Amino acid sequence: MRKSWLRDYIIRRLFYSIIIAWGILTVTFILVRVGPSSPADRYLANLAASGQDVTQVIAAIEARYGVDRPIWEQYTDYMTNLFRGNWGWSFSTSMPVIELIKKHWIYSFQLILLSSLFAAFLGILIGIYSAVKQYTKADYTFTFLSFIGISIPNFWLGVMLILIFSVKLGLFKTYYDTTLPLFSIENLKALVLPVITLGTGMLAAYVRYTRSAMLDNLRKVFVTTARAKGLPERIVIGKHVFRNALLPLVTIILFDLGSIVFGGAYLTEIVFGIPGLGQISFKAIFANDYPVVVAVTLIGTLVVLLVNLVTDIIYTYLDPRIRYD
Amino acid sequence: MIKGLEDTIIKLRHFWHSNMRLVSYYWERTHRNRLATCGLAFIVFLVLLALIGPFLTLDPTEVNFEEKNLPPVGFTVEQSVYNIETGEFITKKVAGTWKHPLGTDSKGRDMLAMIVSGARVSLFVGLIATGIAIILGTIIGVLSAYFGGWVDNVMMRFTDIMMTFPFFLLLVLIVFIFGPSLIFIILAIGLTGWTGTARMVRSESLSLRTREFVLAARALGASDNRVVFRHLIPNVISLIIVIATLSIPGVILAEAALSFIGLGDPTVPSWGIILEAGQHSLDTAWWVAVEPGIMLFLTVLAFNFLGDGLRDAFDPKSQI
Repeated sequence: MRKSWLRDYIIRRLFYSIIIAWGILTVTFILVRVGPSSPADRYLANLAASGQDVTQVIAAIEARYGVDRPIWEQYTDYMTNLFRGNWGWSFSTSMPVIELIKKHWIYSFQLILLSSLFAAFLGILIGIYSAVKQYTKADYTFTFLSFIGISIPNFWLGVMLILIFSVKLGLFKTYYDTTLPLFSIENLKALVLPVITLGTGMLAAYVRYTRSAMLDNLRKVFVTTARAKGLPERIVIGKHVFRNALLPLVTIILFDLGSIVFGGAYLTEIVFGIPGLGQISFKAIFANDYPVVVAVTLIGTLVVLLVNLVTDIIYTYLDPRIRYD
Repeated sequence: MIKGLEDTIIKLRHFWHSNMRLVSYYWERTHRNRLATCGLAFIVFLVLLALIGPFLTLDPTEVNFEEKNLPPVGFTVEQSVYNIETGEFITKKVAGTWKHPLGTDSKGRDMLAMIVSGARVSLFVGLIATGIAIILGTIIGVLSAYFGGWVDNVMMRFTDIMMTFPFFLLLVLIVFIFGPSLIFIILAIGLTGWTGTARMVRSESLSLRTREFVLAARALGASDNRVVFRHLIPNVISLIIVIATLSIPGVILAEAALSFIGLGDPTVPSWGIILEAGQHSLDTAWWVAVEPGIMLFLTVLAFNFLGDGLRDAFDPKSQI
């Protein structure tokens, strides 16, 4: 009963999310299809070398992939197919898009998951410590370091880590080895540098968010009350201050996930040669392989929308006073 | 006639003085923040470097294979060199020279000259693209808040769509489609980067809209134009300055990242392009990847310090 408004809200939000996703899908489709290159481009060099009639062969290839039809027809076809669960055919890799995604999503997922865990865990710990020891040397040091972490360009950090730990010290490989089994120590070791690369920016941001959220609550009256009751400081900080600071923190962390992760993971995958979704969409853009580009954009968008919705719902459970009407 | 002129001068002087007083007040408060002052000093240095540096350094495009992969001054590296007479590779020690204080790249171009002209590109992109984004965002935010109703609804739903779009993917797509020229890169970043500004300016204007001075202006019969441009926008200026300072690093990084993945303008030596080339020569010439990255990092850091200091000076309670 209490949450009946929540159900209506979720339905409304889902409906709204679908419209946003459709808008983004359409824009991406149009952007890719009006692009200058054609799926036939990669055969051009061979064709020219073998002395065949190039225009004829290009026309044949374009007819084969259906890209010679009017763009409106391609669009309606693509949307109907997508609606039926058919994600199309990737012509640059010669396999169904859905197979391609099934093969590659895990690489992005493991990178993003490990980086987020690393960043959230360390970030929250350091943030709490920094807030509790406000205006001490440690606090200043961590604040300064977090500025550095936010400002360091993550792709450059990746290159520097490769330079120091792979090229100079030889501790890691300079690229991500795809032959390793996913759930193994070697794979974990191969992910150390990418996780640091992607996680450092997030870590620094979380330190700052946690610190300011903790400080907001540390000055509240209920903290004084808790201390006056004679509660040990550990309980005051852990139960009273942190619980209340957690609320804004969860929102910010989840909302950030979208922006930091999609920009950062994309570049991190390219720097380390991790064959995740960022990498395949990057290659697909250059090959004008529009079904892949649109599909990856769609997945990215859906994840962001879903995370936003889940954040709002978690919020209502963490703080029952909140109502979205 | 003369009277009118005098009035105008007095008004102008008053405007100047009251504003200078504010500026010096805020400067005082920002100045107290040591990190912000350091940030500002570095930015001033960078602007000077970008403006006059290129006249003092060597030609950044001059290729010289005789002097390729020279390390920076103070460093010595071993290079294997092909000896034409014996037909063998010999290893010889190469030390940095003062002719190329920051070394040279794999084509023998002077790194110092390239870094200096890269500063020009990065600052140019950062300022222009941020300018476009901020102006767009402010207009959309203020109009949205002021008119409310369906205008607000349409604009904010559009902002939502733009915000959900994976930003970097959109940039890559646009730049790939329209070709990697600096103008399109700037436009792409500017035209996609306004959403945050619009949101923040809108919420600030929403609270301003109901204040007494706006109400008074409207009661006196001020037009929409006047209320928006004389009352709302001047009151969000401090917020806009802070947002602008804090978004410049993101813009500079976006350009560098695009260049880094091969979508930069090949005709201008930006830091991202040097970095991209350096990434492939890590084992022979590490400094090519290190130097532009350090500049990029320091620039972003400087703007973040300054933006943070300005925000604290303008509004110590704000949380952006």
